[in-house]
Amino acid sequence: MPGSMWLIPVLPFAASAVLLFFGRRLGAVLGPLVGAAATGTSFVLSLLGLLALRGGAPAYHAQIRWAEVGDLSIRMGFMFDKLEAAVVTMVTFASFFIQLYAMGYMRGDAKYNRFFTIVSLFTAGMLTTVMADNLLLFTLGWEIMGFASFSLIGHWFEKIENAWAAFKAFVTTRIGDLGLMAAMFLLAAQAGTLQFDGIFEAVEGAAGAWWVTLAALFLFWAAVGKSAQLPLHVWLPDAMAGPTPVSALIHAATMVAAGVFLVARNYALFEASGTALDVVAWVGGVTLLFAAVVAVLQEDIKKVLAYSTMSQLGYMMMALGVGGYAAGVFHVVTHGYFKALLFLGAGSVIHALHHEQNMHRMGGLFRRMPVTAVTFIIGMLALAGIPPFAGYYSKDEILLAAYEANSALFWIGSVGALLTAFYMTRAVVLTFFGRPRDKHVFEHAHESPAVMTVPLLALAVPSLLYGLLAPQLLGQPVHQWLAFGGHAAHHEPSSFVMAVATGVAVAGILLGAVVFGVVPAASRKAVISALRPLYTVIKNKFYFDELYQAVFVRGTRALAGVAGVVDRYVIDGLVNGAAALTVFIGSQTRRLTNGFAQAYMLVLVGGVVLGIIVFQAIGG
Amino acid sequence: MPLPLPYFLVLGALMFAVGAWGALSRSNAVRVLMSIELMLNAVNINLVAFNRYLTPSELTGQIFSIFVITIAAAEAALGLAIVLMIARRRGAIDINKINTLRG
Amino acid sequence: MSLQVVAFAVLAALILYGSYKVVASPLITHSALFLALVLVSVAGVFLMLDAVFLAVVQVLVYAGAVMAVIIFAIMLSEQREIGGDPSAQRMGFGEELRRALRSRHWGLLPAAAAALLAVLAIAGIGRLGAPAAPGAASTSVADVGRALLTDYLVPFEIASAVLLAAVIGAIVLTAREGSDARDGGRS
Repeated sequence: MPGSMWLIPVLPFAASAVLLFFGRRLGAVLGPLVGAAATGTSFVLSLLGLLALRGGAPAYHAQIRWAEVGDLSIRMGFMFDKLEAAVVTMVTFASFFIQLYAMGYMRGDAKYNRFFTIVSLFTAGMLTTVMADNLLLFTLGWEIMGFASFSLIGHWFEKIENAWAAFKAFVTTRIGDLGLMAAMFLLAAQAGTLQFDGIFEAVEGAAGAWWVTLAALFLFWAAVGKSAQLPLHVWLPDAMAGPTPVSALIHAATMVAAGVFLVARNYALFEASGTALDVVAWVGGVTLLFAAVVAVLQEDIKKVLAYSTMSQLGYMMMALGVGGYAAGVFHVVTHGYFKALLFLGAGSVIHALHHEQNMHRMGGLFRRMPVTAVTFIIGMLALAGIPPFAGYYSKDEILLAAYEANSALFWIGSVGALLTAFYMTRAVVLTFFGRPRDKHVFEHAHESPAVMTVPLLALAVPSLLYGLLAPQLLGQPVHQWLAFGGHAAHHEPSSFVMAVATGVAVAGILLGAVVFGVVPAASRKAVISALRPLYTVIKNKFYFDELYQAVFVRGTRALAGVAGVVDRYVIDGLVNGAAALTVFIGSQTRRLTNGFAQAYMLVLVGGVVLGIIVFQAIGG
Repeated sequence: MPLPLPYFLVLGALMFAVGAWGALSRSNAVRVLMSIELMLNAVNINLVAFNRYLTPSELTGQIFSIFVITIAAAEAALGLAIVLMIARRRGAIDINKINTLRG
Repeated sequence: MSLQVVAFAVLAALILYGSYKVVASPLITHSALFLALVLVSVAGVFLMLDAVFLAVVQVLVYAGAVMAVIIFAIMLSEQREIGGDPSAQRMGFGEELRRALRSRHWGLLPAAAAALLAVLAIAGIGRLGAPAAPGAASTSVADVGRALLTDYLVPFEIASAVLLAAVIGAIVLTAREGSDARDGGRS
């Protein structure tokens, strides 16, 4: 194990600082390369660490003392164990190639340097979150991510919709972050420490205690916000307003997965409270089905992927909730690879079509951009869970875990898998096959430059092979590598589950191909008009935004109106009154300071006289 | 038969009061300075008297008086120098007309 | 009535009358002369209190040096009061009181404050209880000198530095104007 593992999060930080101060001087090529080089070095380091762990080396853990507050000793440290190794390699790998890709995608952008500065900062935040050995440092990284996400969603803030989307994302995740704060306070009070190992030790003796469940639910609330689970999911589709590389990095591969990682990191806490695990499982299950249904009717290619991400995050949550710790984390990793690939592919298409995102205006692009199309299809097959693509292995594990825990969740997951395959096929068919629906758009389409296609190819490799080759890379089966608490919760492979998982995936693809490739559009329209009410509800995403608008936004505005009146007349009245009183006293007393030395002397003598009187009255 | 201590104290108090009155009420700067000298002398009388009656074997009061006289001399030199300068600049030393300390 | 009482009564009368005239005399030069009288009388009081060295210092420094400075200041500031105050008729105490009452700024306030101060001080003296009998005088000039250069060496040195600073300050204050002035060589 290299002794310099702490450099993994620090290097991107340094790169971000360099870009902040010297980015413009470094230029359009060298600047991003600084960030990419830092992330690349972090990747190499994490790979070395992973290989050392594979060779049986003990986990890396280094810490410094940060602050002492009463009895609470706060230490800062980074650790690198098998869980971190799996996630960190994925994050650095994806971030490295996404930065390369962005050099092409963002070329000529007015805020080019700002973009790369914040991407580096984001990477540093994500790595800090993953490697933190205590909840406070974890929160630090978590908040850095929140900030970076906010500023990158709003990268093109000249368009007011984008600025509002950034605002919405920030506020919504912030509502979740309250849970993290509450959990931190609760744990500091009850466990007396914020170190993860200390917390877990305290929890061990207090299984089922009220505060364990409460802390777990608080943490999960934060995870719900960050991972866009119901009911805090509304920000993720809007977050697609950011540049596509950002969507790939932050809103697919890493930050949204940090919520899942939060649950995985504190799994001991969740396990000690059975209630919390059930909540996690059901929220995940409902979200995965809801998002998959909504994804089917989206027209924007990025929104399809956004809802798909939400759905896959639901899978991960469900896996953790039903005890499939290894399956959930494994899906974080594989999903990171292939969802980043899918977003970059979508970005390549969008870039080629001059920022056209509506799939109904695409079509037939396979011939124009073969590399993008092939890699996109690889990502789509991985997402759908077709063996031997990466997604199959993790999704199969999840369904297996769900099958053994709760048959209802298993069927939810299976239906979700069917829908996943269906809407991804729809996206592929509408984008790359069939006749070009918009001649003008089609004419201008062209394959992206190498700086964008190489990252696509690079990400296609793990999407294709990671599931198959992970045991070779890790030197042991995944469920042993990601064994939680020493006991590998291995689920016996079930041929029934395997058959269902593969079957629904294939069925979904076939259905999608038939509906959108063979059936004429007119018949589709007929079906839609027959199911008009259902269609409307789904198309409007079950009216969540409207509901929140009505309840929270209007409610808050009403409250603010009342508060405003109180503020203007009561608070301001007090403040202005105090100010006026001070002015009055000042204007009166300034007469004493008239500049005549004798007046001052007189006051002095008066003071002495008064002093004598008081002294004699008391001392006498 | 030695005099009782209060004789000296009352003398000092009255002299101090006259000095204070002068310092507070006169408009001529030189006169104000002279009044301050009166006050300082009154204090000196007190110091020496207490020294003589309460701690006759020690010299604290007298030494204090010497320092007071020293400071008084310095104050007189500086104060009068300032008076001179003001007189040259303004042609008068009526301190009722000097209010540059005004806030 | 012992000789001491007589001596004290004479000195006290001189001091108090002189003090009053310092403040109330219409001519500033008279004020200065009365101040000299007061200072010498105070030296006499010091003698009665067996403070021989202090009495000498009082005469030398106050009645000599400080008075000289004051008189110089009066001369150099060319006050109209030298030739007689514009409103320079001799004033009795009643006239003084009347003028104080008419005074623009403070009226009777300074006099009242000073009187209150005196009353309070005397009241305090009255409550001191039995006055301590004076012990045998045991101090001499040599003792004062020894104390100044041993126990009080540091304040002594500081006082010398203060004096030096005062002298330099006085020179700077008065010389600058003179050297800058057109007619030059005035100081």
